[in-house]
Amino acid sequence: MKKLEWRQWLVVLAFVLVVSVTGLFTVRTVRRAIYWHYHQDEPIRPWMSLGYIAHSYSVPPWVLHQALGLPPTPDRRPIREIAREQHRSVNEVIAILQNAIVHARPPYPPPGPPPPRENVPTKDPSPGQTQGRSP
Amino acid sequence: MSITDQVLAALLVYGLPVLFGVILICSVGVPFPISLMLVAAGSFVEQGEMKLWQVIAVASVGAVLGDQIAYGLSRWGGRRLINRLSRRIGGEAKIKQAEALTKRWSGAGIFLSRWLLTALGPWVNVASGIAAYPWRRFLFWDVLGEVLWVILYVSIGYAFSNRVQAIAEILGNLAWVIAGLIVTVILGWQLVRYVRPKPEPDPG
Repeated sequence: MKKLEWRQWLVVLAFVLVVSVTGLFTVRTVRRAIYWHYHQDEPIRPWMSLGYIAHSYSVPPWVLHQALGLPPTPDRRPIREIAREQHRSVNEVIAILQNAIVHARPPYPPPGPPPPRENVPTKDPSPGQTQGRSP
Repeated sequence: MSITDQVLAALLVYGLPVLFGVILICSVGVPFPISLMLVAAGSFVEQGEMKLWQVIAVASVGAVLGDQIAYGLSRWGGRRLINRLSRRIGGEAKIKQAEALTKRWSGAGIFLSRWLLTALGPWVNVASGIAAYPWRRFLFWDVLGEVLWVILYVSIGYAFSNRVQAIAEILGNLAWVIAGLIVTVILGWQLVRYVRPKPEPDPG
């Protein structure tokens, strides 16, 4: 093996750097893939709409609307806007939704058909009274 | 609230104009979570909140237009700078070599950096502009690659419409792995050439 010039050492350095970064991203990709393989649910993020969350978690959308005291009509807003309108923090809204989702899934009985419009509470309830069905 | 959340929330509320604008500035080179946005758009299509042909058309036009802007800026802005520098410090022959190389390879380079090696996209735009790669051919490969990219990512979002965040995270990491592997191979090849003894002094 001959002696390397400084320019060639630079290539060696770049090579080592690129290999480590690529390795890092490979590990991250595999770890994420394994994680999502075992976790059915993705975390609720502020950008998501109630429709998307219901779709992602396979629960009827009206369950989420009801939990936040909203009418069961389609609502495109991201939950961060709903939170702003209801003077809650996004985390609070996420907690309410998670609670509603837990109660809409087994072992709890399936939520069934949406309630008639007049039974839907219109004022925002406090987090404690979000769900009619308690364990 | 992260920039990703901001962009996706805006996409949800304002729809196509946001898709167009964000993809445009990303193509010019601003790093945004753009694959996540396309995957999300695919999911919204599946849920009936956006129309498939509109998403594909708007995203493709935005991407192609952004690439043309980057190409144009580097061709007519960057070109002048390079000429001035090379006149002052020499190295015109080197630049000619680089240009010849880009002209020879950029068809495949432009095409692949649109959809497979997306991390390299903005660089290829600038390189093609500076090398004065023929504009029509640039446009041809650009349109081909960008439309493929949009259809690919929107379809992924459509297929995994309930796992947008998860899929986008994996895709984002995977793009860097692919780009990293290719650079590793190129640098590795260079190293092998340094280390391997030249064939002339070989006895025998």
